[in-house]
Amino acid sequence: MFTQQLINGLALGAVYALIALGYTMVYGILQLINFAHGEVYMIGAYLGIIVLGMLTASGVTAYSLTFSLLLTVLISMAFCALYGAAIERVAYRPLRKASKLAPLISAVGMSIILQNFMMLAQGKEYKNLPPVLPSIGLNILGANVSPAQIFILSSSVLIMIVLHLFVSRTRLGKAMRATSQDRVMAGLVGININQVISITFMIGSALAAVAGVMATLYYGVVHFFMGYLAGIKAFTAAVLGGIGSIPGAMLGGFMLGLIENFGASYISSVYKDAFAFIVLILTLLIRPAGLLGEKSVDKV
Amino acid sequence: MMARLCKVIFVVAVLALSLVACTKQDDTVIRIGAAGPMTGDQSKMGMDLKNAVELAVAEWNEKGGVLGKKIVLLAGDDQADPKQAVSVANKFINQKAVAIVGHWNSSCSIPASKNYNDANIVMVTPATTNPYLTVQGFKKVFRVCGTDDQQGRIAAEYVIKSLHPSKIAIIHDKTAYGQGLADYFKKALGDKVQIVYYGGIIQHDPDYKAVLTTIKEKKPDLYYFGGIYPEAGRLVRQAQEVGMNIPMVTGDGVFDPTFINIAGKAADGTYVTFGKEPAGLSSAKAFLEKYKAKYGESGPYSIYAYDAANIILSAIEKTNSTDGAKVADYISKTTFRGAFGDISFDKNGDVTQAPYVVWQVKDGKFQQIP
Repeated sequence: MFTQQLINGLALGAVYALIALGYTMVYGILQLINFAHGEVYMIGAYLGIIVLGMLTASGVTAYSLTFSLLLTVLISMAFCALYGAAIERVAYRPLRKASKLAPLISAVGMSIILQNFMMLAQGKEYKNLPPVLPSIGLNILGANVSPAQIFILSSSVLIMIVLHLFVSRTRLGKAMRATSQDRVMAGLVGININQVISITFMIGSALAAVAGVMATLYYGVVHFFMGYLAGIKAFTAAVLGGIGSIPGAMLGGFMLGLIENFGASYISSVYKDAFAFIVLILTLLIRPAGLLGEKSVDKV
Repeated sequence: MMARLCKVIFVVAVLALSLVACTKQDDTVIRIGAAGPMTGDQSKMGMDLKNAVELAVAEWNEKGGVLGKKIVLLAGDDQADPKQAVSVANKFINQKAVAIVGHWNSSCSIPASKNYNDANIVMVTPATTNPYLTVQGFKKVFRVCGTDDQQGRIAAEYVIKSLHPSKIAIIHDKTAYGQGLADYFKKALGDKVQIVYYGGIIQHDPDYKAVLTTIKEKKPDLYYFGGIYPEAGRLVRQAQEVGMNIPMVTGDGVFDPTFINIAGKAADGTYVTFGKEPAGLSSAKAFLEKYKAKYGESGPYSIYAYDAANIILSAIEKTNSTDGAKVADYISKTTFRGAFGDISFDKNGDVTQAPYVVWQVKDGKFQQIP
């Protein structure tokens, strides 16, 4: 039972971690909490159901499941990356020199717009996808690790490694780190700030898209409102790990998934959602910088 | 220039508003309300209800309406939310509706019923099964379906007699309907079976694996769920994923093909208590064909909503009145010939016969257990 709960929690946490990365990356660069990020996750989930549905209808899924899953993830990532770049261009860039509150309000507005857009475009009902993956997978210490969980855990770990290498080893990653340390200075030494910010949004949104497709596969239901709660929980994960810190977001995501799962099973399933917010409050009270966050020096 | 233009627009807007406010409700029509969750995850149920009432109203209008007046259908979306349900009820009262078919959810019907009863409006619900609705002493509130205590008892009797479990887990969705049903089931079991788990889950939560794993550990022979199909679908699907292969037993809220769509193969073996199959009834044939031609396949509660609308309209016709008290009095004393068979009410407003039977999902379809 413990092993099963551990695996359930890790799979749930992987989804939170992927969304949290988008929050933390954007915060690192712009000191902005992108509240529309949860909606990008929701759009990714819808794309997952649409693309996978189309592939199933055209017989591709029956021919090769791995190929169609990969294709679904890639298409969803591409679309959401465009959404991310567009959101930044429309809602945040014009406000970059405004007071800090303005882009925050703009973010909330963007979130409402995207939710309602999806409601009008896709309908108010739950959309469901009959299970594509079998439910019985590996047996590890008496716990059933379903193929969906294997897919979620392996691909999220892979993506996190790639992301880490990208940020720490590539030129563009270096430019991102430089921009996050000092935007003005980075611009002076010849880094194209707008481009770096756009790319950050695109990467964050593509990660949310992966999380969305995973949630679709895992739960089989999507809804235009699903991004709201998932977004807030991922934000909690980002705060727990230390907002602005990439390894922190990963750690925070997995931890939150585990806390929710163990809380729901050992304490009470009725308060499952409450655990996330208790964690948020405790983090802010005890360690506002988060587990891996650095003490922030106010930039005046 | 700009300021002047703004002034003109403002004046026009105020005038337009006051015009709207002055429009008098004309008394040449009779208004019937249909209320249910028409958006959100239970929207299918609300639309099934509304379509069926619309069909009944259209049939009456073809025959010349009622009391020589045309019948107009008002639709109210309560979003399966108790607060919205009360605001829908107030809206109907302001619009001078004479009777209501609805609401769908117990948590909506119960608070709204007080508003209707106080406003002298007859309310006939096609689907609310929580017993509390009709024991509040409201004379103008009726239901054409059964109640959860009957349903819970029939489920418990079936489980004990045919499935012989020694341990049972019970979960519910914390709503008036779900928790009520789960409690009646638990009560009906008595001490014949050991209950190893009893607890609630959060509606709309995508992930129920934590609670399912806890239940699996207690090794029950089956689990009972009081709730609605979106949650039930996710529960059976995830139960299989955590390796729990025991059947779910549940109530009428799960009786919808969407449950099977969400759950896939995992739905097979689920037991559901529900009314008899209407397709076999000769009285239902005309309704089912008409509904199918106009809206597609009818929902589980469409036929109940259709009967509810017909009961209201024929009572208005027979009493020659739209007075709620008179219409309610007539309804309580009369046996109606509905599409679903003869319907009569007891002193509370419940149907005298509530024929629940047990169904099981087999090969992706609900099948009545003989």
